[in-house]
Amino acid sequence: MLVQMSKVQIIGTHDVLERTVQTLHNAGVVQITEKPPLVDALALDERAARQRDEITQLLTRLDALLALLPAHPQPKDLNARYAAEATRGINKVIAAAQRALAQLDPTAQDLARRRDELEADQVTLPRYAKTMRQLMPLAADLAPLKNYETVALLVERRFSAVIEMLRVQLPEITNEQFELVSRDIDPDTTAAILVFPREHSAAIHTFLGRESITQVRLPDELTNVPFKDALATIETRLAQIPPALKNIHRELDALADHWRTSLAVWSAVLRDRLQELEVLRRFGATQYTFVVVGWMPRKQIAALRDALARQVGDHVLLEELPLTEREREHAPVVLANPRPAQPFEFLVRLMALPRYGTIDPTPIMAIFLPIFFGMILGDIGYGALVLLGTLYLLRKVKSGGFKSLLIIMLYCALWSIAFGFWYGEFFGTLGEAIGLHPFFNRGEAVLPLFAFSIALGIVQVGLGFALGIYQAIKLHQRHALLDRVAKVIALIAIFMLVAVSSDALPKELFTPGLALLIVGTVLLMRTIGWVGILLAPIEILGTVSNILSYLRLAAIGLASVYLAMVANELAGITGNIIFGVIVAGLFHALNLALGIFSPTIQSLRLHYVEFFSKFFEGGGERYAPFKREGIA
Amino acid sequence: MEVGLAAIGAGLAVGLAAVGTGLAQGRIGSAGAGVIAEKPELLGTMIVLLAIPETMIILGFAVAAIILLVK
Repeated sequence: MLVQMSKVQIIGTHDVLERTVQTLHNAGVVQITEKPPLVDALALDERAARQRDEITQLLTRLDALLALLPAHPQPKDLNARYAAEATRGINKVIAAAQRALAQLDPTAQDLARRRDELEADQVTLPRYAKTMRQLMPLAADLAPLKNYETVALLVERRFSAVIEMLRVQLPEITNEQFELVSRDIDPDTTAAILVFPREHSAAIHTFLGRESITQVRLPDELTNVPFKDALATIETRLAQIPPALKNIHRELDALADHWRTSLAVWSAVLRDRLQELEVLRRFGATQYTFVVVGWMPRKQIAALRDALARQVGDHVLLEELPLTEREREHAPVVLANPRPAQPFEFLVRLMALPRYGTIDPTPIMAIFLPIFFGMILGDIGYGALVLLGTLYLLRKVKSGGFKSLLIIMLYCALWSIAFGFWYGEFFGTLGEAIGLHPFFNRGEAVLPLFAFSIALGIVQVGLGFALGIYQAIKLHQRHALLDRVAKVIALIAIFMLVAVSSDALPKELFTPGLALLIVGTVLLMRTIGWVGILLAPIEILGTVSNILSYLRLAAIGLASVYLAMVANELAGITGNIIFGVIVAGLFHALNLALGIFSPTIQSLRLHYVEFFSKFFEGGGERYAPFKREGIA
Repeated sequence: MEVGLAAIGAGLAVGLAAVGTGLAQGRIGSAGAGVIAEKPELLGTMIVLLAIPETMIILGFAVAAIILLVK
C-alpha cells in the first residue's frame, strides 16, 4: 500500500519562525520542497548566518577529533544524553564544544602526530637496519676519521662497472684524498663505502647526482652518527618504540574514555541545528510572514497541526493545498504494509519505487513469492536446512536489506517444507525410503505439474491484468486501459481456441473464439498505431509466452529432483557406505546451493517480468522528511 | 527407431535452447556487470534482463518433456 500524501503550506509570522522550524524538525514528518514560487527567499539574519558558519567549522574540528580518538562501545545512556543536550539550548552546546576543543585539540593532535611518527619509524627503521647490516663488513675496514664524510652506495651487480668508474674519476675530484672499499654482499648487490674529506662534499654529491648513483639514505638524525654506531642506534630506537606507542595509546584511550561520548553528542546536536539553519533556504518570506511548502502523510496532518498550536501558538497556520494532476505524480512515496509483508518492500524497491498513485505490489508478492519458491524447491530436507540456516543468520543480522531477505527466506523455507510433504520428497527420493508417501509425485506426474504451473501463471498474469485495468481506470489512462483490455480479450480467445482444439470445449465455440481473437488483435493494433499491424500479434504472443514462462516453476523443480535422485543413485552405486555418504553429501550440497539460488531468482523474475509488466509503474520519489537524524 | 528419434529430438530441444540462452545471457551478463559497476541501483533491472532469455530453455525443456512423455 502507498501512504496517502498531502501537500501542505505552513505560514507564520517572523517572530515564530524559530519555534516553527524546531517543531517541524521534532515532528519529522514534512518533506520540505524547494522554495514556493512567487515569494522571495527567506534571508538568514546576520546572527543565524554567523551561527551557521561557526557550527560548520566546529563540526569539522569535532569530526577530525573523533576520528583521532579510538572507538569505544557506546554507553547505554547515549540517547538520553543526546536528548538532554538537545534541549539545553544551542548556544550552551556551542560554548561547551568550543571549550572542550580548546582544551583537547592540542593534546590529541600531538599524541596522534607522535603515534604516526613512531608507527612510521617502526616500518622504515628495520629497512635501514637491513642495509646497514649489509654494509657493516665494509665499515669494519674503515677507521673513523674526523672531518671526513662517509657515503654508502648499493649498486646492482650488473652495474658494478660504476664502481670502477668511481675509482678512475674520484682521484681527480678529491686530489686523491679518498678511500673506496667495495664488496659483493649478495648475488645481486655490490656495496661500496666512500670516505672523503668534508671539503669535497659538495663536489662529490654533485658528481654522484650527475651520474645517477643512488646513495643509501639514512634518517636525518643518523646522518652525523659514525657509520659503525648507526646500526646500534637504530636497534635501540626500535626497542624503544613499542613501550612508547603503548603509552600513547593509553593516553588516547583515557581521552576517549572521558570525552568521546560528549563529543559525539555535541556533534549530533550541532548537526541537527545546522540542518535547521540550512532548511531555511527553502522558506519563502514576505515582509511580515514566512511560508514553507512540503509533503506529508495525510493522516498525520491533524497531529502536526496540534503540535504547532501547542508549541508555537496561533501565529502559525497549516493548511492542506489542493493537488494538480502533475503535482500528484511527483508526490513522494511511502510504502506501508502489514508487518509480515514489510520485508518484501525491499524486493519491490530493488526493482523501483512505485510511482505515487499506482498500486504497490508488495502484499501480492508476499503471498506469491514464497509459494513459488516452495513449489520449485519442494523438499522437506532442503527446506529444513534452509530454515535452520536462516534462523541462525537471523540471530546475527539485526537490520538492513539482508535481514529482509532472510525473513523472506524463512517464509520460502516453510513453503518448501509444505510442498515437500505434498511431493513426498526428503532429500529427493530418500523420502520414500523412510516411508513418506507422496500425495503428488512430481517426478512421475510431469504433465499435471506443467498444467498446475500454467494454471498459476494464468492466475497471476490475470491478476496483473486486473490490477492494471483497475489502475488505468483510476488514473484515467485511456491508452493503457485499451491496451490491457485488448490483451485480455486476445488471451481469453486463445485459450478458447486451444480448449476447442483439444476437445475440452464444444466445437461450436471455435467461431466465437476466432472472432474474439480478431477483436482483441484489432483493438491492440488500434492502440499501438500503424506499426500495430506488425506489433499486435507479437505482443499477444508475448503475453501467451508470459504465461508459458510459469512452466519454470515445474521445470526448475524437476531439474532439482533429478539431481537429488542422481545423488542418491550414485551413492548407491559406490557400494561403500562411507564413500557413498560422501558422494551423496557433495551432490546434495551442490543441489542445495542451486536450490536456494535459482528458485529465488526464478520466482523474482516471474514477478518482475511477467507480473509487474501488467500494471507496475516505477519512478516514485523517495520520501525524505525533515527530521532529526538522532545519534547513531 | 521411433523411440530413438524422439530421444534425439528431445535432446535437440533442450540442447539448442540451452545454447541460445547461454549466448544471450553471456552478452547480457557482461553488459550487466558494467552497468552495476556504474549504477548499483540498477541491480533489480539487471536481474530481470538477465533472466529474460531463460524462457527459451524452459520452453525447450517443456517441449522435450512433451516429446518424451506424451504418447
